Amino acid sequence: MSMTKYLIRRALYLVPVFFGITFLVFSIERLAGDPVKLLTAGQTRVTEEQRQLLRQYFGLDKPVYQQYLLWLSELFTGNLGYAYTTGGGAPVSTLIGQRAVATLELQLLGLAFSLLIAIPIGVMSAKRRYSKLDLAVTNTSLVGTSIPIFFLGIMAILVLSAKTGGLFPYGGLESISPNQYPYGSAILDQLWHLVLPTSVYTFAILAPVVLLVRSSMLEVLRQDFILAARASGLKESTVIYKHGLRNALLPLLTYVGLYFGGLLTGAPITETVFNWPGVGRLFVQAINNLDFPVIQGVVVVITLMTLVANVITDIAYAYIDPRIRLE
Amino acid sequence: MSETLLSVEGLRTYFYTYAGVVKAVDGITLQVNKGETLGLVGESGSGKTVTAQSIMRIVPTPGKTIEGTVKFEERNLLRLKESEMQHIRGKEIAYIPQDPTTTLDPVYSVGDQLVEVIMRHQPVSKRYALAKAIELLHSVGIADPEIRINQYPHELSGGTKQRIAIARALSCEPILILADEPTTALDVTIQAQILELLKDLKQKLNVAMVLITHDMGIVADTCDRVTVLYAGQVCETGTTEQVFENPKHPYTEALLSSVPSLALRKETLSVIPGSVPNLIHPPSGCRFHPRCAYSRQVCIDKDPELEPIGEGRFVHCHRWKELDLKSAVAS
Repeated sequence: MSMTKYLIRRALYLVPVFFGITFLVFSIERLAGDPVKLLTAGQTRVTEEQRQLLRQYFGLDKPVYQQYLLWLSELFTGNLGYAYTTGGGAPVSTLIGQRAVATLELQLLGLAFSLLIAIPIGVMSAKRRYSKLDLAVTNTSLVGTSIPIFFLGIMAILVLSAKTGGLFPYGGLESISPNQYPYGSAILDQLWHLVLPTSVYTFAILAPVVLLVRSSMLEVLRQDFILAARASGLKESTVIYKHGLRNALLPLLTYVGLYFGGLLTGAPITETVFNWPGVGRLFVQAINNLDFPVIQGVVVVITLMTLVANVITDIAYAYIDPRIRLE
Repeated sequence: MSETLLSVEGLRTYFYTYAGVVKAVDGITLQVNKGETLGLVGESGSGKTVTAQSIMRIVPTPGKTIEGTVKFEERNLLRLKESEMQHIRGKEIAYIPQDPTTTLDPVYSVGDQLVEVIMRHQPVSKRYALAKAIELLHSVGIADPEIRINQYPHELSGGTKQRIAIARALSCEPILILADEPTTALDVTIQAQILELLKDLKQKLNVAMVLITHDMGIVADTCDRVTVLYAGQVCETGTTEQVFENPKHPYTEALLSSVPSLALRKETLSVIPGSVPNLIHPPSGCRFHPRCAYSRQVCIDKDPELEPIGEGRFVHCHRWKELDLKSAVAS
């Protein structure tokens, strides 16, 4: 069976990629600075001996390759290690697990909304190329891709939260105390908090998808088989969606596949702007604090997710396009 | 004279591009009788394909048919609603596009694509449609139709794909087929097979056909009548015999003399000097005058009329009466 063969090959391929990436990250971190110095900066009462003790405690006194092997051996027992400072030295897996739900919520909603909005718009725009609608769509998308997400986020907070007396919350996952819940419902409160970050995030990833669908659709609509389908008397909707869109979906699939790889870490800026307790923000904080175990843990997750997403993309490709066979 | 099936008059289809308006089809008039094959001949860019697409109203944007009538069995197709037109396309008039390698959708199987068209125009079950599709593949000379039906276009050769395109065109028993250079993209042996198949099917089904080609050899071999196009206009129309043996338009003469012929053992191949004009700013008067060996002042000043000079015979030239054109293929 070619499918099993394919999966085995992909799994083998994972091995060098995994070691390569983790070792690189491991070394680069240690070139970036000394976390103990950062931790104790400005603390005049901490002596050099105490610093050395801290290094020993974190295992940072050993040579890099030993530290790496130690970390690997722990990893294979399912232990991602403990954070130096984040969460008061909590296990990395717990830290990531706690934040994964918030991140996935934002990311999946953003992806779903942007696809639902972008595909029909892109198709319409391609169908009526050079029309006023098409011009409006392409220009708006251009503006959309050009606006940085932090600017958009801050503007959204300014206009829809600060200036309107808290129409929407400025950030966070939920209200601090239950008596702030709208209609006393915790679910409504969560949804209420989701509106701004999801909208901003959707808008930010919408524009490239619209442009991608449009250009890919234009490419397909020029093909002879579209002309032939039309000449066979098929309904215009059949021509556009059954024959056009299915062929135009292939580039989009690659895009979504890449997106899924970064699913857990993809929105650090949005998360930071909206004070959203997700993995992206955890990652940024860990880098700022040189919290090595957390950085490594997140990198492991990104690597695995990317590889899994690639396999899923390949399988989806073969399903949509019969010319591609997995071998 | 036999009954007229399709009559196109004064058809104009322009393409509105950024560079300007391309007058791709500019006043074409032609006629197809029931059961006959009309050859539509001309160089690349003479408007053959756009004429066929205009008849079916599938001209790609930014093209638009702005004038003319397309009368098909007493109906003016240009006046029909789009929904009515959809029931004519594929059912009464079928189209075989130019390049068989790209006319089938790569992501659906052969069976899917045939069944789709059959079920669009006939109230039949999927099972019946599938059986019909297999029968069609058999009738266009495809071996093992039961296997082919489940295959995808990339698994098939060019010749097989063209046979499938023909099968799709025939699937709803049309009365008119527009075949746009059905053999150009194929190699020579397959070309002969496909032409043979078309001739054969035409005879069996008594379907009328417009065969678009730039190959005079194919015209001589398969067509009853010919319409010669140049730069979006008709040069002349007549029976194949008339046009080949007694061309009335200088362009036809030039076209015929540029056909390589073994029988005549010509040492050098004659060519028509120049190339097809820019159709945004076509030449004044007769569009062929810059390349015509017989042009006079009147040809530069005035566009000639398409003059009827006999039963179903038309010529679009000021000087046809004075000229004594020779036929290179008279044998």
